[in-house]
Amino acid sequence: MDYIITTEQLTKKYKNFISVNKVSMHIRKGSIYGFLGPNGAGKSTTMKMLLGLTSPTGGSFMVDGGHFPNDRISILKKVGSFIESPSFYTNLTGRENLDIIRRILGLPVNAVDDALELAGLTEFGNRLAKKYSLGMKQRLGLAGALLGRPPILILDEPTNGLDPSGIYEIRNLIKSLPSLYDCTVLISSHMLSEIELMADDIGILNHGRLLFEGSLDELRQSAVQEGFAADNKPGGKDTGLEDMFLSMIDKDNKAIKAPQSDKVSQRDKVSQSDKVSLYRKQRARL
Amino acid sequence: MNTLIIELRKEKRTGVIPLLLLAGILGAAYAFVLFFVRKDTLLNLPLAPMDVLLTQVYGMIMILNMFGIVVAACMVYNMEFKGTAIKKMYMLPISVPKMYLCKFLILTVLLFIAIVLQNMALLKIGISDLPKGTFKMDTLLKFTAYSFITSMPALSFMVLVSSRFENMWMPLGIGVAGFLSGMALANSSVRLLLLHPFVVMLKPAVAMSAQPDNGIVTISMAETLLFSGMGLWMAKHLRYE
Ligand SMILES: Nc1ncnc2c1ncn2[C@@H]1O[C@H](COP(=O)(O)OP(=O)(O)O)[C@@H](O)[C@H]1O
Ligand SMILES: [Mg+2]
Repeated sequence: MDYIITTEQLTKKYKNFISVNKVSMHIRKGSIYGFLGPNGAGKSTTMKMLLGLTSPTGGSFMVDGGHFPNDRISILKKVGSFIESPSFYTNLTGRENLDIIRRILGLPVNAVDDALELAGLTEFGNRLAKKYSLGMKQRLGLAGALLGRPPILILDEPTNGLDPSGIYEIRNLIKSLPSLYDCTVLISSHMLSEIELMADDIGILNHGRLLFEGSLDELRQSAVQEGFAADNKPGGKDTGLEDMFLSMIDKDNKAIKAPQSDKVSQRDKVSQSDKVSLYRKQRARL
Repeated sequence: MNTLIIELRKEKRTGVIPLLLLAGILGAAYAFVLFFVRKDTLLNLPLAPMDVLLTQVYGMIMILNMFGIVVAACMVYNMEFKGTAIKKMYMLPISVPKMYLCKFLILTVLLFIAIVLQNMALLKIGISDLPKGTFKMDTLLKFTAYSFITSMPALSFMVLVSSRFENMWMPLGIGVAGFLSGMALANSSVRLLLLHPFVVMLKPAVAMSAQPDNGIVTISMAETLLFSGMGLWMAKHLRYE
């Protein structure tokens, strides 16, 4: 299998708190990888490590064959990113902001128009970024990530703050990216319903641990096996997955809260083995 | 070079460039006005005419420059923190220490231009207002270089401080505190106080002679190197999270 990003037991520990705990992710080249988890699960922290914004305290990772900090420049040339909230110069217009990024990336002038167009911001390109609405700032952040159509996109909850039609539009855009040009997308969200509509593969994170990694079909099959059959529910919506996701999180949360008097590692064992079995099943089928 | 052009483009609408140029113009205007109004009083002071020209005007000019340095240094980093633009910079293939260096260079050049403007005014006054034969070009040039070199520790210190605080009020507060404590301590002869970059900057203003003090020149250069070295090191090793 051709992976473009892999992490190996990736860990980030803050003073007395483990934000990302031994995460081993595998992102296939050309796929959309949905990174799912409730708020505070460690999605942003993981993505920040992939971009060199913060350094891991354990484990390792590889982005298109490169490592931080030695390959920082060559990695960042290939990755368009958007982390947590849009970043921009408030004193510049949307277009001027993108032009700064364009110059850093050494791209031709027309890359700015292309990015504005992709993000649906052409109309507002000449407005000062500080005068943008929340949704427009979000789109500006996205345009900054898409500038130059990089082969890898790392997008952290990119639809936050958008209205429903904006969410729909951006989702369609992201979904269309791999067919528009050859790229791999890592996108995080706290809503399965959103990821479900875009992703080929899914990683589920809770309290810093990867509870599941596999294809969407894999997750569906597990849902059926574990009795979250969904397709027969009224309305015909695929709520089984959501149930499965919630129960997976719930189970993990309970395991954490459970008394840990004798065996601290009890939970580790349980969830780790759960994950491994799912993971193995999935690998076997690929 | 590319980084420098990018940094200059970022300055748009921030007012950094006009601010320091304005300090230069106001300083020059102040010198003209002072000599227009108080020429006779000044020239009757028991000082050599060149010392009058350089030291009696410099107090005000230096305060303008100091104010310009503090505010401009706060602004060059505030624009990075305001919309968390710096986070994006860390995720782009650009060297963050190089960015720091370019900001530092831009402010240095602007301060230099301001000081040149101010000293061009002194040149004009010196030629037309000082008693015949007392104006000395080399003294003026030396003092120009001296005031520039002694201003650099404060500039490099302020860039360092403003690069470390996301909230602009912190570096601004530190700058104001530096200014006030510098004013209070500038007349002290305790050499240790020269570690204080604002005290160094104030030294030529409280001196009675326009002759550069070589000790202070050396200290200024050392501090400039130290503060900018620290700033570069921090830009490289301390991440923005
Ligand atoms: N700089 C930091 N210092 C301490 N804790 C942090 C820091 N950054 C994030 N965390 C903690 O790490 C956990 C994961 O955060 P984050 O990665 O932002 O989660 P997510 O993006 O999945 O919502 C949270 O509990 C958060 O409080
Ligand atoms: Mg997050």
